[in-house]
Amino acid sequence: MGITLDESGPQAVIGLNGEVDISSAAELKALLLRALNSGKKVRVSLDKTTVLDVTAVELLWAAEREGNKAGVGFSLAGPALAEVSAALSVAGLDLQQLIVSADAR
Amino acid sequence: MANKADQFKQAFREEGREVLVDLESALLELNDNRGDMELVGRVFRALHTMKGSGAMFGFEDLATFTHNLETAFDEVRNGRLPISSELIDLTLAALDQIRAMLEEGMAGAPVADLAACAEILAKVRHLTGKPEKHPAKGKTAPLTLGLETGAWTSSEAVTGPVREWSIHFAPGPDFMLNGANPLLLLNELKQLGGLAVKASMAAVPPLIELDPERCYISWEMVLATAAERDAIRDVFIFVEDSCELSIEPVTSPDKESTEAASAAVGAADLTARALADKREKRGGRRDYDSPDNASSLRVPAAKLDQFVDLVGELVTVQARLSEIAARCDDPEIAAVSEEVERLTSSLRDNSMNIRMMPIRATFEKFRRLVHDLARDLGKNVELTIEGADTELDKTVIDQLSDPLMHLIRNSMDHGIEPPAVRAERGKCLTATIHLSARHSGASVLIAVSDDGGGINAEAVRNRAIERGLVAAGAELTEAETFALLFQPGFSTAKQVTDVSGRGVGMDVVRQRVDSLRGSIEVASNPGAGTSVTLRLPLTLAIIDGILVSIGDASFVLPLANILECIELTSADIERANGKHIADVRGEIVPYIRLREHFNIRTPRPEIEQIMIVATEGGRYGFVVDRVLGNCQTVIKNLGRFYRHVKVVSGATILGDGRVALILDPERVAQDAVRAITHGSRAGPSVAAIAAAVKQGLRGRSAAPQKTI
Repeated sequence: MGITLDESGPQAVIGLNGEVDISSAAELKALLLRALNSGKKVRVSLDKTTVLDVTAVELLWAAEREGNKAGVGFSLAGPALAEVSAALSVAGLDLQQLIVSADAR
Repeated sequence: MANKADQFKQAFREEGREVLVDLESALLELNDNRGDMELVGRVFRALHTMKGSGAMFGFEDLATFTHNLETAFDEVRNGRLPISSELIDLTLAALDQIRAMLEEGMAGAPVADLAACAEILAKVRHLTGKPEKHPAKGKTAPLTLGLETGAWTSSEAVTGPVREWSIHFAPGPDFMLNGANPLLLLNELKQLGGLAVKASMAAVPPLIELDPERCYISWEMVLATAAERDAIRDVFIFVEDSCELSIEPVTSPDKESTEAASAAVGAADLTARALADKREKRGGRRDYDSPDNASSLRVPAAKLDQFVDLVGELVTVQARLSEIAARCDDPEIAAVSEEVERLTSSLRDNSMNIRMMPIRATFEKFRRLVHDLARDLGKNVELTIEGADTELDKTVIDQLSDPLMHLIRNSMDHGIEPPAVRAERGKCLTATIHLSARHSGASVLIAVSDDGGGINAEAVRNRAIERGLVAAGAELTEAETFALLFQPGFSTAKQVTDVSGRGVGMDVVRQRVDSLRGSIEVASNPGAGTSVTLRLPLTLAIIDGILVSIGDASFVLPLANILECIELTSADIERANGKHIADVRGEIVPYIRLREHFNIRTPRPEIEQIMIVATEGGRYGFVVDRVLGNCQTVIKNLGRFYRHVKVVSGATILGDGRVALILDPERVAQDAVRAITHGSRAGPSVAAIAAAVKQGLRGRSAAPQKTI
């Protein structure tokens, strides 16, 4: 559970599970930086995510900018994405609109 | 993190206490003015704030419990439920439980009674006819990211004309660290009406520079709601100090509301960009980073006490420095000493000022006491309050609750007559208890007055004789008779009730007022009422005084009482034919020879000085040998042994290590007048007190000591 990074495949996959909030923000930042530095395409997978708070949104948004700037690509996916996005939409932070993956550009 | 979260919980507790005080006072006012919709709004907002913020800061039980009450007041607001005594009493009882939930985990705090909570909720549900949405028993899941917010929204709709508000909200650097969550706030906001939100990511820095625990996002919103600005602001009440917030009405009345909303969001977008530009120009520094952003700080009282203690010690050391500078005759040292004196004086005034608080909260909480007691005693009583903004030292305020409570209980039980008796006497059926505060020189006067039956002085006297407190034939003045009321165990009540009559309360009043170096005055008019006035010093720590000497003894007179100083020569004494009166520019002022009053047996100088002081009883002159000058005085208590010496309000250590007694001019004058009237002299031997006090203070002076 928590945050995982899998660099074994062709993509660097960050898994977000359960509540991802300020208590795990420093860890998420470190893993995002590591994934972006791996040179692989970065995919953030929201499989069993229940909560994302604004610190997580900021990190994902900054990582997406970074990834696209560096040309490595950055995407969000996973079954929990829609529900988490809906919860964030009250604050105008719908992830699906905010973070448009490189694939969709 | 845990520590930070605890800090924020504590901050919520402190603010929550204030909200509850306001809630209680609004409820009690509502009880008297049942049609006042503004008061209903105040009650609703307080409940809403406790609920919303309680959930945000981890007080889930509190939030759930409060929600049900909020629902009831929403019904009241919408005209579906009338205000009844039952609803007010239930809400007051609920308030006690909310208070207990708020203090949960704090040492000595009362514990919320879950059975009582369930009973209250059952009764509230019976009143509203609505089923409970959240059971009070057991923990509920925390309110997270809107997943459970549906249950909270149904009753929030506000009635009235809908207006649009443009809201700018930018959390500060520590916002998230403090445990606050912008998403919950926006959810709360959404419950007030239609909300259009635009999040600005402009301030989010590159990932490598990003502080992961900080919220960089800001929001521009347009809220279409019938709620007033205050209600919108209440959503942010607990985070207002740590964010940028502006709530302005949108001025586009001609357009359809949706168009207006989208236009405003567009405008807000521009505003956001303008804000981002502004930040960039300032090197990425955001507005809230500016040091003057924090308008107020909460500081634990203990820290403040420590600070004032240290300032007190500094004042004493500065007095020593001034003394040394005066002896050295070195202009450089003199200049430094003067500068230190100036700074110390200003530091002292500032630190004293920080401790001053309005007495409002203490007064307001008695509304509840009066309401509850009136119900229990079957009397109609209205509490009126005057001068609630009068400021006093926090330490004094902290110790005032008990004496005021006893005085009010006494008035309610013994002073105010039952309605039938009042009717017989042709009085208004609703009695009044008036609480007032006002400044008078360096003192503050707190009075509890009632329009009850007054005190039967004869009954007091007879009871005192019965108890052997006074001799059977003793002649007592009215003031002396009433002073007997404050003797331990004294009561004229024919029966002991739950409220009072055991004679304990009044004794507590006297002890507490004595410990605050205050005095009690009682005035009573048979049939018309009683007024008890507590005269208390504004501060207990440091005062400005004039240092005077008589023989070897030094005294400090509080500057606030001193009007002027004139000489007293042998010729003046002869002109007055030896009478203790002075001619002050044609006005006769009686004087008191402190040398005689205090039994100081040293020869008097050829020319003496008369300090003209103002007291409640008029102007008096205090004759001393010499006037030594101004002094800032750190007051040291004399201790229990000398507590009966009323004319001395404390002692202080002078720069040269000597002890000076601080005189209470009011008491000295009263004492002298009493001595003349009764033909006896009760003046204590001040030399003996000073010697003993010096011994005591010296023993303590090695370490910083509590002066208040």
